[in-house]
Amino acid sequence: MTLRTLARPWIWGFVASALVWATILALSSQGGGQTVSLALSLAPYLVIVGLGQMLVITAGPGNIDVSVAPVISLAGFVAVAATAATGSVAVGVLAGIGTGLAVAAISVLAILGLSIPPIIATLAAGLIASSLTLSLADGFTAVPDEGLRQLLNLRPAGVPVLAVAVAVLTALVVALLSRTTYGRSLLAVGQSRPAAERAGIPVARVLAATYLASGALAGLAGALLAAYIAPSPDLGTRYLLDSVAVVVIGGTLISGGRAVPVGIWGSALFFILLDGLVNLVGWSTAAQNLLKGGLVLFVLFLAGGGTRRDATTSRPRRRPRPATAATAATTTGDNTHG
Amino acid sequence: MHVDNLPVGPLAAPPSGDREPTGAQPVVTARQVTRTYGRTRALTGVDLEVRAGEVLGLVGHNGAGKSTLMRVLAGLEACDEGVVTVRGQEVPRDVRPGAAEFRAVRMAYQETSLCPDLTVAENIWISSRRCLPRLRWRRAASAAVQRRLDEMFPGHGVVPRDRVEALTLARRQMVEIARASLVDRLDLLILDEPTESLGPDAARSLYDHVRTLTARGTAVLLISHRIREVLSVADRVAVMRDGAVVADKPAAGLSEDDVLVLMGAEVAAPADPGPAPAAVPAGDRPVIAELRAASGHGLHDVSVRVGAGEVVGLAGLAGQGQQEVLERLWRPVRKDTTVLGSRAYVPGDRQRSGVLPLWSVAENLIVTAMRGLARYGVRRRAEEAAAVRSWVDRLAIRGGADAGMTELSGGNQQKVIVARAFASTADLVLLDDPFRGVDVHTKTDLYSLIREEAANGRSVVWHSSENAEMAHCDRVYVLRAGRVVAELAGEEISEERIIAVSFAESTEAPQ
Repeated sequence: MTLRTLARPWIWGFVASALVWATILALSSQGGGQTVSLALSLAPYLVIVGLGQMLVITAGPGNIDVSVAPVISLAGFVAVAATAATGSVAVGVLAGIGTGLAVAAISVLAILGLSIPPIIATLAAGLIASSLTLSLADGFTAVPDEGLRQLLNLRPAGVPVLAVAVAVLTALVVALLSRTTYGRSLLAVGQSRPAAERAGIPVARVLAATYLASGALAGLAGALLAAYIAPSPDLGTRYLLDSVAVVVIGGTLISGGRAVPVGIWGSALFFILLDGLVNLVGWSTAAQNLLKGGLVLFVLFLAGGGTRRDATTSRPRRRPRPATAATAATTTGDNTHG
Repeated sequence: MHVDNLPVGPLAAPPSGDREPTGAQPVVTARQVTRTYGRTRALTGVDLEVRAGEVLGLVGHNGAGKSTLMRVLAGLEACDEGVVTVRGQEVPRDVRPGAAEFRAVRMAYQETSLCPDLTVAENIWISSRRCLPRLRWRRAASAAVQRRLDEMFPGHGVVPRDRVEALTLARRQMVEIARASLVDRLDLLILDEPTESLGPDAARSLYDHVRTLTARGTAVLLISHRIREVLSVADRVAVMRDGAVVADKPAAGLSEDDVLVLMGAEVAAPADPGPAPAAVPAGDRPVIAELRAASGHGLHDVSVRVGAGEVVGLAGLAGQGQQEVLERLWRPVRKDTTVLGSRAYVPGDRQRSGVLPLWSVAENLIVTAMRGLARYGVRRRAEEAAAVRSWVDRLAIRGGADAGMTELSGGNQQKVIVARAFASTADLVLLDDPFRGVDVHTKTDLYSLIREEAANGRSVVWHSSENAEMAHCDRVYVLRAGRVVAELAGEEISEERIIAVSFAESTEAPQ
């Protein structure tokens, strides 16, 4: 049982963040609770984007949304402009989500309609978004809504309100994946697209919904970030690498079919704390990125190595099992053409 | 484009009585060769001799062992027991593809071995690089393939610069045959269903070229299920059945019926009305699915009708359009296809398109039915669990509902995938040859399941390459080259009858 718990993939993100947190404590005079509280107010944005990215990656090999960064930046401007024009925060946030949906719709059209590989399709959609961002940013004067900013900074008992809200969102995604037909269909498509097709799952619809969800979540993150910080053309830049990294480190299978939403929290906290630690030590941004890239590779290496040893929870596609070998051989024998 | 109407007589040079094959030197000899895959004995002791300068025809039904024998003769696969000799030299047992002994033995595959993304000339380089110069090989390969294609298929229309992917099926086949024959020394050329996608003219010129090859002393091994074609081209015909060569006779004097009998078919007596044209479906069942004169994508004028509660079989040799019929019924997007009601599909290739490897048996089983049970997109787990329990019990799936799907044996995995389809509320279940390589015990369980479900009013369309399975159907359509060549019902369905109509070219039903 202990081994089984240790094999749970989402634990490692939390373990790693605890280690980094302890290191920060040892190195600085800052209070431990304050560090956690700060991390909890920064992590939710990354978790929102990561949840969307996780759904996309779960859809199987080749699926990735590289448009999240430009979507965040564009949605930031759109949300602030919409709030300024109407005076309503809700309209602004909805406008941000709508922006994400619109950009994702372009990706979906390209992926499903034109059969363009997702990485190219989302890259193209992202380029469209970033050119829109640049034209919007030129002479942009509106300022983020003060009320929303205060809400995002609200930390009763050191726990940010946003963190609670995003924790609820995470729980909803967990329920979505295990309790709805959409979630189960997505997991099936991610394991084997031909098998899912033959099992009667509407693969195209599932994929479309997944990319739209990722776009909407990135849009939401952009709208909130713009209020929290300020709209800028490179608001989302760091979220591309980070969103993929937190998904992978969180235990979601990069080859699809298994999603671990809770793991995103652990790895997002880890990343935020790691940023803090690296700043504390005085490393440059370049060194930070090097460290993160290395971590992702290391986790993927561990994931691959772990499955080879572990028989039951592994990814069986890679392993030639006796059953498969026997059937393959028999099929060859029977399959001779007349 | 098929060679259905080849004249029996003078195709090229007539099958020679003038040549004396027994005097010629054997090129490749197999003696008491056996080959076993798992529990399947593909070859059970084959004796065969291919002699220089002759055309040897090899015929047999699905699973008779032809492909395995060819692979052994071409040195692609080692045999378990027995001896293979090439030009009098015994080949070591641990032979591997590309062995020096087999360099003068070449094979043209039915499903071509060409790389689709490369050009014709580049493909030639891959297979014949030993005979091409190191520098400017592209030009040499282009010239060689151009010359060979001109010899074999005048007016072929292939340019060596063309990417293989862009070629039509017929042209690809031409390139494949030319590729196989391009080598500095050719002792034996194996042609596996070479005319399957060629037109009559191309087939004729291919066989002309085969004649010039044999005149030069090359042996040709021709595998085809077009028996009339084999009889008109070959000097000698070897018939395979159940992994052994059961007959080896001069082609002259053999009739098509003789060969069919040797293969194990029951040949209709001339008084017999032949394949029954459009047998009446049992009773007055309402039609639930229908193909009306469907053509295109490998089908020619195929009409199929499925009544409610009926088990309809799709038989014939492998790859004659049965899968295309299933595909049309699975995705009825064209005007010539009508399907009333919902569908479920049982794939034959369970590793690729059946198993969801990360999930348990229960999750694999219920994934299709889940949609029907759910309310507003939210699963109802209690109902799902009940359905899973009843199916696991009904089919006695070993390991139980919580076992990982990949821990199961092939037969039990297949049970889960069949249960997945039948657990749904689908009115029409499509089976794509799902019982290949499944043990007899499991098969029997699944056959009775199919009959029970049909009795409950479900319709089943069942493609199988094992003709014996078709006895469980109410009606069977036999397909050949994308056409329905016979429709058998009730008592008419027998293995012998299906073999006879799958091969018989002379008794082909009028379209």
